Amino acid sequence: MAEVTEVDAVVVGAGPAGSAAALALARAGRSVVLLERGPFPGSKNVYGGVVYGRVLDGIVPRWWEEVPVERWVVRRSTMLVTPTQSLSVDYRSAAWGEAPYNGMTTLRCHFDAWLAAKATDAGARLVTSTVATGLVRDGTGRVVGVRTDRAGAEVHAPVVIACDGVNSFLAKEAGLLPPAAASHHTLGVKEVLDLPAGAINERFGVQDHEGVDVEILGCTRDIPGGGFLYTNADTVSIGVVVALPQLAASGVRPEELVADLRDHPGIAPLLRGASLREYAAHLIPEGGYDTMPELVSDGLLIAGDAGAMTLAAGLWLEGVNFAIGSGDAAGRAAAGALAAGDCSAAGLASYRADLEGQFVLADHKRLRKAPALVLSERVQQRYPGLLCDLAEGMFTVTNPTPKPGGLRLTRQVAAGHGVRLRQLAGDTLRGLRIFG
Amino acid sequence: MTAPTGPLVAVCLRVTDLRPEVDRLTGAVRRDPLGVGLTPADAAALELGLRLAETWSARVVALTAGPSSVDPVLREVLALGVAVVRVPDGGEDDGHGYTAELAGDEGGLARTLAAALAPFGPPDLVLCGDRSADRGTGALPAYLAHELGAAQALGLVSLSAGDPAAGRHLVGERRLDAGWRERLRIPLPAVCSVEAAGVRLRRAPLTGVLDAADRPVPVNRSLPVAAATGPGAGSGGAAVHLGGSRPFTPRPRVLPPPAGDDPRRRLLALTGALAAHDPPTVVAPADAAGAADVLLAFLARHGYLPEADGDAR
Repeated sequence: MAEVTEVDAVVVGAGPAGSAAALALARAGRSVVLLERGPFPGSKNVYGGVVYGRVLDGIVPRWWEEVPVERWVVRRSTMLVTPTQSLSVDYRSAAWGEAPYNGMTTLRCHFDAWLAAKATDAGARLVTSTVATGLVRDGTGRVVGVRTDRAGAEVHAPVVIACDGVNSFLAKEAGLLPPAAASHHTLGVKEVLDLPAGAINERFGVQDHEGVDVEILGCTRDIPGGGFLYTNADTVSIGVVVALPQLAASGVRPEELVADLRDHPGIAPLLRGASLREYAAHLIPEGGYDTMPELVSDGLLIAGDAGAMTLAAGLWLEGVNFAIGSGDAAGRAAAGALAAGDCSAAGLASYRADLEGQFVLADHKRLRKAPALVLSERVQQRYPGLLCDLAEGMFTVTNPTPKPGGLRLTRQVAAGHGVRLRQLAGDTLRGLRIFG
Repeated sequence: MTAPTGPLVAVCLRVTDLRPEVDRLTGAVRRDPLGVGLTPADAAALELGLRLAETWSARVVALTAGPSSVDPVLREVLALGVAVVRVPDGGEDDGHGYTAELAGDEGGLARTLAAALAPFGPPDLVLCGDRSADRGTGALPAYLAHELGAAQALGLVSLSAGDPAAGRHLVGERRLDAGWRERLRIPLPAVCSVEAAGVRLRRAPLTGVLDAADRPVPVNRSLPVAAATGPGAGSGGAAVHLGGSRPFTPRPRVLPPPAGDDPRRRLLALTGALAAHDPPTVVAPADAAGAADVLLAFLARHGYLPEADGDAR
């Protein structure tokens, strides 16, 4: 007979989604167990490096005064590269460096532990080094708890919130998540490099706690994807995110792509003398709105990466804020269902409605066609080189030959890259429709 | 208050940062509270204590000296059904003063731990990890044995209860050179320090973890005592009986005799233990430019080059 613990709710995974869900439930006065497979929250989590904290405003007032931040992002740069060229669009805002801030770089082992501590301070009980090995169902098939790997002990609860990350085993077991489709996932690979704070400040043009977020296109050879470079306090995070099927077909090792990026003439001077501190890799559910699983069933809610809530829409690459938003909504929906005494799918339906009404699903829905555009062959393989060559043509002084006209140059460069102006205009219009 | 009865197994645990970051230039250590835990040897000591307690139907108490930041680790021990006592140390504020405390006076720490054990009654067995990972000398078990009037056996790779027909005792093994091992018959009471040697700490039941999460870690705020405690204190325990082994013959090394009248100081001078010295400097970049970067980064980090970054020079 399995040892059984009875609580109001069990949350699986103490990442941002799970901790936000547990926090909402604990604040509602519910007994909640938060299971984490790692030795501490954040010990097994991987992400690029930037958290957009606006979602925390309603959860932890004045969160910026206590969050374990590395640097506040005041520069956002989009960089198009070829092996020998780079073209950057750089935006800087002093306002982003002041409360209430916009985005921050933070290390997940610190950030996740901080958010989980908010949940435990509110009364949630965190159990680490414990894996939820499966769902417990009652005679009607309804989810009523989870089994764990601690001598088969079970935690029973009217509602389970699965925040167990990408490729969620609980969501699969519940039949909500279809078998993993490689085309809906990317692989993120990153290195964290030691670099003295003074070097970061001088090379990236920032000071004190100011940080930089660089998103890069054209740095992944023939594999659809992109790169990133984020500044932490005395480290930098650099990495690539690449489409899984094409990566597998290419035979290229992902770390080779990171090495390419590190050695790029536009990046290498920024990192000179940096030394490797750690590296990591993780799957990312980037399929977008159309690939999301059902989020609710009898006694079960899905949140965070388990629900494919990573927004990969070219201009916006966000995940932690969507995880927190969905986790918080799941926790509130569960608390409401517990109060109403109905944890069936109908009783928990407010979760989906809540997400539709806020950024979590609204943004995903509006940008549902963005992944296809961003990962399209022209955007990935032709436009970075096209725009770099266009810039080179514009800025190369060819005296005594007169400067070329813009339209003629554009036509020449586009033709050189196998792109017709009609296609360029069409993609521009498509982009405007998606992002406009 | 009723005096506790029954055999008692005490386990002295050293909770420390398992993944400290060491500045490669200065040797300065930066610790992270998230890396705090038990070393494999300490975990093995706890597991062996639990096994022996099951054999003897004994009580188990785990002791540690450290700041409140070690409490999460002690709750994991509580979850195993073990009584826990934490002795705060001088590093309560900065969280890491215990290193200096321990390295400076292991005898004092042993007196403190023995005093913290007193409310539980005299222990039949005290177990420790072989040595702490953070500059411990491995001398604490010897001091503890002295304080408790117990026998001492160190460096054990196995430990089990001996045949009760031959009187209550333990049987332990430890390594010798050339792959040999010696078997010890250890009388009780005893202080034994163990290596990890393949012994893994059991996992706590879920109910234990949940119960422990809500419980405060008991803290004994008794200050380090000046005098030894317990009836047998300071008298030394019964002799450990050594079974057959091949003698160890280390290569002779001639050293000048240390000066002074204090035996402890002479011993410290002889061994170099606790002597203040510059931490090691190990810099191994690939080339001269890399070496210059490391040096300049160090100077910048410590404020000698306010605008420095190692690139412009």
